[in-house]
Amino acid sequence: MNMGVNLCGVELKNPVIAASGTFGFGREYDEFYDVGSLGGISVKGLTRLPRLGNPPHRITETPSGVLNSVGLQNPGVEAFIEKDLPWLLEKGAVVVANAAGSTEDDYCYMAERLSKTGIHILEMNISCPNVKEGGVAFGTRPESVYHITKAVRAHCAKPLMVKLSPNVADIAEVARAAQEGGADAISLINTLTGMAVDVRTRRPVLANVVGGLSGPAVRPVALRMCYQAAEAVSIPVVGMGGIETGEDAAAFLLVGCTAVQVGTANLHNPYACPEVVRGLEAVCAQQGVQDVRELIGALRLD
Amino acid sequence: MKRLTAKVLSCAPLNAEMGLLTLALPAGAEAAVPGQFAHIAVPGDRAHLLRRPISLYSVHDGILELGIAAKGEGTRRILQAKPGEEIDLLYPLGRGFDKGAMRRIAFVGGGIGVAPLRFAMERFADAQCRAVFGFRSRDLLYAVEECEKTGASVTVCTDDGSAGFHGLVTGPLEEMLRRGEVDGVMACGPTPMLRAVQALALRCGVPAQLSLEEHMGCGLGACLTCNCKVKAKDGEFGYKRVCADGPVFPAEEVVFG
Ligand SMILES: Cc1cc2nc3c(=O)[nH]c(=O)nc-3n(C[C@H](O)[C@H](O)[C@H](O)COP(=O)(O)OP(=O)(O)OC[C@H]3O[C@@H](n4cnc5c(N)ncnc54)[C@H](O)[C@@H]3O)c2cc1C
Ligand SMILES: Cc1cc2nc3c(=O)[nH]c(=O)nc-3n(C[C@H](O)[C@H](O)[C@H](O)COP(=O)(O)O)c2cc1C
Ligand code: FES
Repeated sequence: MNMGVNLCGVELKNPVIAASGTFGFGREYDEFYDVGSLGGISVKGLTRLPRLGNPPHRITETPSGVLNSVGLQNPGVEAFIEKDLPWLLEKGAVVVANAAGSTEDDYCYMAERLSKTGIHILEMNISCPNVKEGGVAFGTRPESVYHITKAVRAHCAKPLMVKLSPNVADIAEVARAAQEGGADAISLINTLTGMAVDVRTRRPVLANVVGGLSGPAVRPVALRMCYQAAEAVSIPVVGMGGIETGEDAAAFLLVGCTAVQVGTANLHNPYACPEVVRGLEAVCAQQGVQDVRELIGALRLD
Repeated sequence: MKRLTAKVLSCAPLNAEMGLLTLALPAGAEAAVPGQFAHIAVPGDRAHLLRRPISLYSVHDGILELGIAAKGEGTRRILQAKPGEEIDLLYPLGRGFDKGAMRRIAFVGGGIGVAPLRFAMERFADAQCRAVFGFRSRDLLYAVEECEKTGASVTVCTDDGSAGFHGLVTGPLEEMLRRGEVDGVMACGPTPMLRAVQALALRCGVPAQLSLEEHMGCGLGACLTCNCKVKAKDGEFGYKRVCADGPVFPAEEVVFG
């Protein structure tokens, strides 16, 4: 059975990529299994300079979901290039560099800097809800998505994947804007903005007041948005949001995604990603599918 | 490997608010150090996505004991476990207490924070151990006799005076430090208590180790959701991960508030 897919020119061993922010730089999970066996690894959101992130609490649980407000804590792009990237490449991983910025200049700098390294795909994160400047501010209006994608495209020598925010009125329009700006692929969804309140103390649970919702709670919304985005564009779509099993992943492929990412599930189950790979193999076997690519866009609407 | 399935041997009340969960560890479980924790999947439906971090109360002969307070839905469900059922844990996680060259140790615990100290006192019984434990009231006492059995002397304090000394743990601790009776402090409890222990230990020049709590995701060091504030170079501050860099930190490193 073939599990490999081609994502804008990059061959993935299978369609399952670890999602940014839930997987660090892969080292912790490599204690459990060979992370080089995954389709790819999207690393923790990187910025030009190291970022401290938000004060605690940064995480809490909601029904079938998780709210987080890490705020892009990361050691900065140079530390990643020096310490983590060589290790990931040695592991044979397809490296998806998730990058964010506060200004257009930051994004262009990140694209230029990372293009000079061995990363495979640049995932431009214009959808982080947990930082004051930049992040999602670039990702909510189609015009600004088009504009920033076009600007970054000129500085990016790697396949450019734009990570979209679900906090928009019309996802199809935003997806088209990224394609028109020159994106090679889009990934979605980042987290949905949410909030939790401790009624006893009358305070927000998260120090940042609001956070991003992820996990199975968002899965139907994510699936719908991936479906609409895949209908709207001709570039590959990478789907995510609450995927925990091979069946979940298969649903995202059926609505038109070329690959999927698994995020929050890693927090609960360190083996989540390889289990999704095996589950997807099982779905293919059950359905007599010889090549996982047969599932992509095979949704029946008759 | 670190992800285990452990069989429930029993789950019995430990005090008016806490239960004692006794688990049989499977063969091949890694050796644990006091101060480390288990990251427990909430049993039952899959709506509770995050694991719950719980300190090791005792580990001996393949048996793991946990002292758990029913705080919210997650801990309540864990405490409903019946003998024979299986619990999914990541174990053992984090960096625990380090005895180093300490020969006379003061253990300072408050409420559920007493739990990891019991394991530490068992393991470090070859040192001269003295403990000061604070509880809100008499019906919340636990672990006192077990700790005394290790050969240690235990001073009990209660907020309402219903058992032991009426007052805070810092009173007896201060006396011990003043008299130069200890060369190290290990503490776990609510933040105001830890802050007071930190201030006393630093003032008296006695090294102290504090076990911190924070909401957690992965428990493995990957998601950066369990941050605590620490001193960094040049008077600045930084964040460390409670799950992987801690939960036990040197007192001089921790910044409260
Ligand atoms: C290293 C460490 C060791 C601990 N050891 C023990 C122990 O030995 N015995 C014990 O009874 N408790 C211990 N706790 C606290 C325990 O983890 C929480 O009481 C528990 O997670 C609450 O879950 P809940 O669903 O019952 O409560 P809820 O308030 O409903 O929980 C909601 C969410 O917030 C998180 N949360 C709430 N309070 C805390 C807290 N104090 N610390 C961390 N996360 C929290 C929960 O994990 C959950 O994700 C420890 C915490 C840490 C960090
Ligand atoms: C703790 C945490 C941290 C995250 N950090 C990032 C990040 O740095 N960059 C990013 O693009 N997305 C980040 N995300 C979003 C995830 O990559 C993913 O888009 C989202 O969680 C939905 O997928 P899931 O339900 O499988 O987690 C983070 C999510 C979580 C839970
Ligand atoms: S809980 Fe994930 S880094 Fe600590």
